[in-house]
Amino acid sequence: MSKLNRRTFLGAAGSVAALSALGRSAWAQDRRIRHFWWGNPERDKRTFAVIKLFNGKNPGIVVEGETLGFNDYFTKLTTQIAGGNMPDVIQNGYGNMLEYINKGTLKPLDEAVAAGKIDLSKIDESGIAAGTFDGKFYGLTIGANAMATLYNKRIWEKAGIDVDPITWTYDDLKSVAVKISELGGPKGTDDLSADWAGLSTYCGQRGFLNMYTEDGQFAFGADIVADYWKLWADMRDAGATPSAEDTAAVAGIADLDKMGVVTGKSAISYAYSNQIVGTQALMEDKLGAGMRPHLSGGQPGQSIAPSQFICLSRDSTDDDAALAYMNAFVNDPEMTAVLGLERGIPQQSDVRAALEPNLSEIEAVSVAYFDAIQPHVAPLAPAAPAGVREVEEAFETRSSVAVLLGQMSIEDAAQQFVDEASAILRRAQ
Amino acid sequence: MKKFIRRNLAGYTFLLPWLIGFFALSVGPILSSFYLSFTDYDAVRAPQWVGLENYEYMVQYDRRFWKALQVTFTFVLISVPAKLIFALAVAMILDKGVRAIGWYRALFYLPSILGGSIAVAVLWRQLFDNDGLVNTLLGVVGVEGPNWLSDPRYSLTTLIVLAMWQFGSPMLIFLAGLRAIPQELYEAAEIDAAGKVRQFFAITLPLLAPVIFFNLVLQMIEAFKSFSGAFVISGGKGAPLDSLLFFTVYLYNEAFSFFRMGYASALAWVLLLIIAVFTVIAFWSSKYWVHYENERN
Repeated sequence: MSKLNRRTFLGAAGSVAALSALGRSAWAQDRRIRHFWWGNPERDKRTFAVIKLFNGKNPGIVVEGETLGFNDYFTKLTTQIAGGNMPDVIQNGYGNMLEYINKGTLKPLDEAVAAGKIDLSKIDESGIAAGTFDGKFYGLTIGANAMATLYNKRIWEKAGIDVDPITWTYDDLKSVAVKISELGGPKGTDDLSADWAGLSTYCGQRGFLNMYTEDGQFAFGADIVADYWKLWADMRDAGATPSAEDTAAVAGIADLDKMGVVTGKSAISYAYSNQIVGTQALMEDKLGAGMRPHLSGGQPGQSIAPSQFICLSRDSTDDDAALAYMNAFVNDPEMTAVLGLERGIPQQSDVRAALEPNLSEIEAVSVAYFDAIQPHVAPLAPAAPAGVREVEEAFETRSSVAVLLGQMSIEDAAQQFVDEASAILRRAQ
Repeated sequence: MKKFIRRNLAGYTFLLPWLIGFFALSVGPILSSFYLSFTDYDAVRAPQWVGLENYEYMVQYDRRFWKALQVTFTFVLISVPAKLIFALAVAMILDKGVRAIGWYRALFYLPSILGGSIAVAVLWRQLFDNDGLVNTLLGVVGVEGPNWLSDPRYSLTTLIVLAMWQFGSPMLIFLAGLRAIPQELYEAAEIDAAGKVRQFFAITLPLLAPVIFFNLVLQMIEAFKSFSGAFVISGGKGAPLDSLLFFTVYLYNEAFSFFRMGYASALAWVLLLIIAVFTVIAFWSSKYWVHYENERN
């Protein structure tokens, strides 16, 4: 019995070994590339389709896709960095790039560009500049992005608003929002007290387009933060926004389905231009797009930034195969057609031209928005220093909430926030 | 020695999977976290030795550390006694011979099984949401409920209620303890005209003391380590206004949001120390209030 068992066992083990040997030889010529991105169901569908296209066109290279939600993506990426097994091709945002470059996790692409492995000729100058850090080129842009105001067109028309939401000011917003609130339905506008992007825009408008000094500290003082909170407190007091408690309840939550324009709590919300399509999918009323309000007498506070880059990771084992894939991802007409506008407005002139005739109604809105804002934007500020993600969280989930719930005066909260931010930034350097 | 090996080899071989797991997945990480707690480590670059800096920073500069301690202590000090009292009350009711007691036991135990799960925390979130079931029901009787989860005055209370709701396992242990109290004692007390209240304080509580002690230690450790409920309900950040910044949530954030693995390791060791101190205090105090039946004084 035991003999038989052993023989059967050995036989089984032998065939497993034979099989795995076979398996290995069958794949021997294939060069495997892993591409990892953060996404949403729509983006994942499109990206996997693109991978399939690429694999079909490039026998010998097998690209494998991996995807996660935004927050989990960076958690997993960090563990992969620690384990030395990062995927070959990874996705990064403008805000994260510097952190990952400083940690030495990305390979510069300059040599590949010089050798003609990556073709930048169709990419906008601004897109190339944005992917360049300390004189080295690290990231291929896969879509440009800008902050946007999203408004419910039906309510907007019902209230008889005739303000141009591209050039409007905070004062315009206030009167528009009050008018909408007076209809008795949703409030006029979401309250941006706890929105870091809102504060960044306001800083730009007050002359601090680059919010940070060279040693990675705030360039602005507590007075700017206090003024910003007062601006919104004023809107709130005028009845333009949902209650402070309601705003505090969604502070720091970036989900599209929590925005007032989607939940019906307000008629105007704030997001990014590459979220226009996704937000429209969540509502019945038609969406319109405008800029974040301007400060009368202020400077432009909004910029156009690349929404995402694809980058070559330090752990890539087959640079050439990875570069071929990255190059196709931004230049291959069939692949870029599948990707469409989902990651932002493509920063390749030919890709844009090819997409234009086939846009859906809401895609056309986001393209038109993008064209309309060009004369009103500021140049892109340098990438934020390390630690800003933590400062952002402190602002959105703590300091602003303390102000909204009336636990601290605006002046005290502003001073405390600036002090806390300074400590965080110092610790992160 | 040879004989020992020969005799026990088979036993240890069977233990091997567990031993490997224990050393590789428990002892190893525990030791390395102790080392890491003296380093600056971002999970990318190699750890840099910084001596006691992490611990110094924690005590001297880190306001959120103190806030996390405050939240955790409040939670432990309120939720543990509340849960034990509740569990004892339910156990005493069940002990009085309810019909189909097996069903009730299973039913009441259910939340404890589900308790640590994400699904229950998500459910809790829905229940206490601004326009969730609780506020809807309050609305029926004309009360306008607060924002349970987004108002820092109430958020911790909802978590304490969640913890109390998971009273199943201490209740089962209480029930077993109650069953072990000899009925003669109650009969004798009744003959001496002792009322129910007197019986409870003179018979039930003293004889149940070992069981209460056991439950206390277990639940206290559990409460200090409590994580998933606070993590889910606070959106992973201890919101609103750090009112749900449990020590474990803070630790998680330092480690996996901001990648200060060294600092997070130091936090973990502080938590271990705190739990150890409280357990020692509990054991020390037990000699004054816990008496065992077979004790000879």
